[in-house]
Amino acid sequence: MLRYALNRLILSVPTLILVSAAVFLLMRLVPGDPVVLMLGDQADPQQAADMRAAMGLDRSVFVQYGLWLLHAVNGDLGRSTTNDLPVLPLALSRFQVTATIVFAAVAIAAVVAIPLGTVAAWRQNTKADFAIVSGATLLLSIPSFWLGLLMLLFFGLKLGWVPVVGYVSFSEDAFKAALYIVLPVATLTLIEIGILTRMARAAAIDVLRLEYVAHARAKGLRESRVLRRHVLPNAFAPTLTLIGIVLGNLLGGVAVIETVFTLPGLGRLLVDGIYARDYPVVQGCMLFIATIYVVVNLLVDLAYPFFDPRVTAS
Amino acid sequence: MPRIRLRANALIGSILVGATLLLAAASIVWTPRNPLAVALRQRLKPPSAEFWLGTDEVGRDVFSRIMTGAGTSVMVAGLAVLAAVLLGSLLGLVAGFLRGWVDRVLMGINDALLAFPGILLALGLMAVIGASQWGIILALGLAYAPTVARVVRGAVLSIREREFVEASRSIGNSEGYTMWRHVMPNTASPLIVLATSMFGWAILAESALSFLGLGVPPPAPTWGNMLAAARPYMESAIWLSLAPGLCIALTLLGVNLLGDALRDRLDPRSAER
Amino acid sequence: MRAALGRTVFLGCLWAAQPALAQTPGDYTIRASLNSDIRGTQPGGNRDANTDVVMMHVLEGLVAYREDTSVGPMLAESWSLSEDGRTYTFKLRQGVTFHNGATMTAADVVWSWRRYLNPATQWRCLPDLDGRGLSKVVSVEAVDAQTVAVTLDKPSAIFLSIIARADCGQTAILHPDSVGADGQWREPIGTGPYRIGEWKRGQSIELTRFDRYASRQGEMDGFTGGKVAYAARLRFVVIPDASAARAALLGNSVDVLTDVPMAEATDLRTRPGVTLLHTPTMGVTAFLLQTRDPVLRDPRIRQAFALSLDVQQIVEGTMEGMAQQNPSIVPIRSRWHDEAQSQRPARNVAAARRLLAEAGYRGQPIRMQVNRRYANTYDAAVAAQAMAEEAGLKIELEVLDWATQLDRYTRGDYQMQSFIYSARLDPSLSYEMIAGPKETQPRKVWDNPAAQALVQRSMQVTDDAERQAILAELFKLFSQDVPMVILYNQPDFLAGRDAIQGLRAWPSGHTRLWNVWVR
Repeated sequence: MLRYALNRLILSVPTLILVSAAVFLLMRLVPGDPVVLMLGDQADPQQAADMRAAMGLDRSVFVQYGLWLLHAVNGDLGRSTTNDLPVLPLALSRFQVTATIVFAAVAIAAVVAIPLGTVAAWRQNTKADFAIVSGATLLLSIPSFWLGLLMLLFFGLKLGWVPVVGYVSFSEDAFKAALYIVLPVATLTLIEIGILTRMARAAAIDVLRLEYVAHARAKGLRESRVLRRHVLPNAFAPTLTLIGIVLGNLLGGVAVIETVFTLPGLGRLLVDGIYARDYPVVQGCMLFIATIYVVVNLLVDLAYPFFDPRVTAS
Repeated sequence: MPRIRLRANALIGSILVGATLLLAAASIVWTPRNPLAVALRQRLKPPSAEFWLGTDEVGRDVFSRIMTGAGTSVMVAGLAVLAAVLLGSLLGLVAGFLRGWVDRVLMGINDALLAFPGILLALGLMAVIGASQWGIILALGLAYAPTVARVVRGAVLSIREREFVEASRSIGNSEGYTMWRHVMPNTASPLIVLATSMFGWAILAESALSFLGLGVPPPAPTWGNMLAAARPYMESAIWLSLAPGLCIALTLLGVNLLGDALRDRLDPRSAER
Repeated sequence: MRAALGRTVFLGCLWAAQPALAQTPGDYTIRASLNSDIRGTQPGGNRDANTDVVMMHVLEGLVAYREDTSVGPMLAESWSLSEDGRTYTFKLRQGVTFHNGATMTAADVVWSWRRYLNPATQWRCLPDLDGRGLSKVVSVEAVDAQTVAVTLDKPSAIFLSIIARADCGQTAILHPDSVGADGQWREPIGTGPYRIGEWKRGQSIELTRFDRYASRQGEMDGFTGGKVAYAARLRFVVIPDASAARAALLGNSVDVLTDVPMAEATDLRTRPGVTLLHTPTMGVTAFLLQTRDPVLRDPRIRQAFALSLDVQQIVEGTMEGMAQQNPSIVPIRSRWHDEAQSQRPARNVAAARRLLAEAGYRGQPIRMQVNRRYANTYDAAVAAQAMAEEAGLKIELEVLDWATQLDRYTRGDYQMQSFIYSARLDPSLSYEMIAGPKETQPRKVWDNPAAQALVQRSMQVTDDAERQAILAELFKLFSQDVPMVILYNQPDFLAGRDAIQGLRAWPSGHTRLWNVWVR
């Protein structure tokens, strides 16, 4: 299994290089650079040229990319052009914020959604199923930032239950931290419940069609027992794969949610970096996000046999 | 019994999507007022008999903009899906049919595209194409193409070994002809189902991009950029964000319900995604 | 002008209304919002407007801008100008202490100045003082322990205006320990009423009171005058999103909002418990017209565009009475702005149509680049588009992100732009900002050799009446050429909770939290 994991990681290297090269090129194609923003409306051409030279932006794109790649291989992702911070620790600290919210939201959503989806599948085409699916569909139809704004307006401003902006890390003050992330987590949870319920239902329907379920029923097992013993465990594994995909997507940054709730997360860092033409930050964030994507997918694949009785049996 | 949900889904979905399409179509011939006409003395008026859904921050009629916005949103989402389907199908067909190193290279590119953030793509394309809705369409199309490619490739891989494909080859038809005549039509069902979902994603994505300032450039209204522009007035002029927000949510609900119905109809064995 | 509504206080009358209560410094924190983190702590280095706001609490230079945008002494007690107009002799104030406890002497001033003038420092204002701009600093010498002489190669009317600029870090006087033995920047050891405390990158920066601050006598006066640090701590909290920042103020998560955008300002002015202050800054909101464009090259078309606009209505409609129209590049609050510079031809659609017909305009669409970062420039463009349409001028809006628009501006790559200029506190600098040869400096909007000559002269004359006459002539030329249509001076909006006393908005637009206390 270790060999498999290593193999997968090595195979992902070309993908990562491709992504970073594309990002590098695309960022250079976008008009404007850090110098333009730094000098604003008084950019004397000579001064701008001097600054570009000092930042190494006057060299050819290929040389710049080569140098960046060389440093990246050695674990040095450069420094932000906006505030001169090293990119890797910056991305890591922002990632903590994103990860906290995403893990909390997906965990809660999964706990709610998997039983809901299973029940819906089990009672397929009844009123209960219809209600669950419609509810889930409605939830995933709501634009996340709109939901977030409405929540902010209602719970933050009208009722004043939670602070409306800012972020406190859990290591500083766990209670306060929880207060600050409750709304973003709630927003994300609601939407993910919509997505995961439908996924869990589909997975459970597949399982219910399998022969051993029919077999178990034929043996005269009570329906609730069939559900608990056979359907739920077997529907869990495919749902896990889907949760993996969801996590991979979300961990890359939930820029919109982070913007609404002013959280210093990874997605916000990337978006701000793009607007500020902060090449090293965009470059570094993208590599980081792509790596997360690869690693999460790998972990899900590796975890699969542990949860799927069918795979272990064979 | 099984038909009940299906029919209810199909019915509600059709009504909601139909209403959107109707609004979009009607906006071409008629809107209550000019959706672009600025009236600075009529800013932020609440809904009334004169302005059914109120006016926005520069005094434009919100209802007229919702109508025109339906058209723009539908067009942007529709064309984006079309682009994704064309590009993705091509990639998926080629990869699935030729297999070998071509498959590996194409799927490598595919994975790279999947890991790419839509926002950077949108910004980059906006720079290349210029700020217009075409940039968004292309960006969304490119962003969704990999998913299409995966589905089509999967379908092709499973279909190409089936008897009728073998039969076509054995009677001497060329690979290209076989692909065109026998493989492609059989990828249609999963594609239609996926395209329906993607249409919903595209409407949602356009609104999110607008929110981050990268959507369809104003003043042309889309629901997304109306919602984004309404942001500062959430408290003082709630109608500004309620109207487009509800429109997006209801249309998406319709698209998803319709998608479910279609899936049950066309592709009963496929897992819901 | 429409009367200020409700709780809105025009130009910080709040301060005037407050009798000089005997306030004492207290052990509390004032929390203010910033829409982005500061970029660095090096004066005139990697900075932006927010950086300047924070650093102006920490740093002080020899001279500083006053409330009326003239230049007054800060760390200097006084200065004198030599007969030939080339040597400024600054007499330093006694007993000024650096944050590390050391007493400021002429040696520190000379060290600081020579450091700025060293190209390796990459001081952003070096081009203005090394001969690339107008004049060159030839020497900086200590005459005695309390006197410093700065000599230029030729006389300059704008030398003090340059070194007082906030974006130049006010040419702050630093203790040499601000820089490490290796020549690398460490931290600012300045003389301001606050010093830098904890800086949580991307989240907040805290300033703490400098207990041994040696204040000037007298009233608060711009960046100079008496400064009292009432609050023991100032915490600048980074809130990138304007709506969220407003919510934070209303939810009592911050006390002061800096740099409030128009949409939030209109909302806040109606809120109980919050005071909104506003005043025109020296920044300029304008439509730029590319005089090299095949269509806009014809001055008649540019004039037609100007005539098609009802600027008064644009300003009233988009700014709700919180800005005044101003056709001149010289800011309305500048002491050089006179009545003549407020005159703008009235809207005349018929005349505009006539001019367009004469110029042979056949409805070619003209693209105006706009951005949504500065929402009021966008709103103005939308309004102008509708007005120009009535005269038959077809304008299409192209929404860009700010960096892209700035890049196009710098290259001169546009037909029209709805643009916003940062503050220039001297009228010559205002004209210098727009006038110049497009060949070598494509960002310059107004390429007219006669105008450039006038601008150069205005920088050298030391007689006020003569300078005013040059400015009048420049305005006349500018109004004929119409290289841009100036709308108004960007207001600075500043909001505070009612418990916060002593807040004042001023034309420079930089929020000051000294002399501000909690009731």
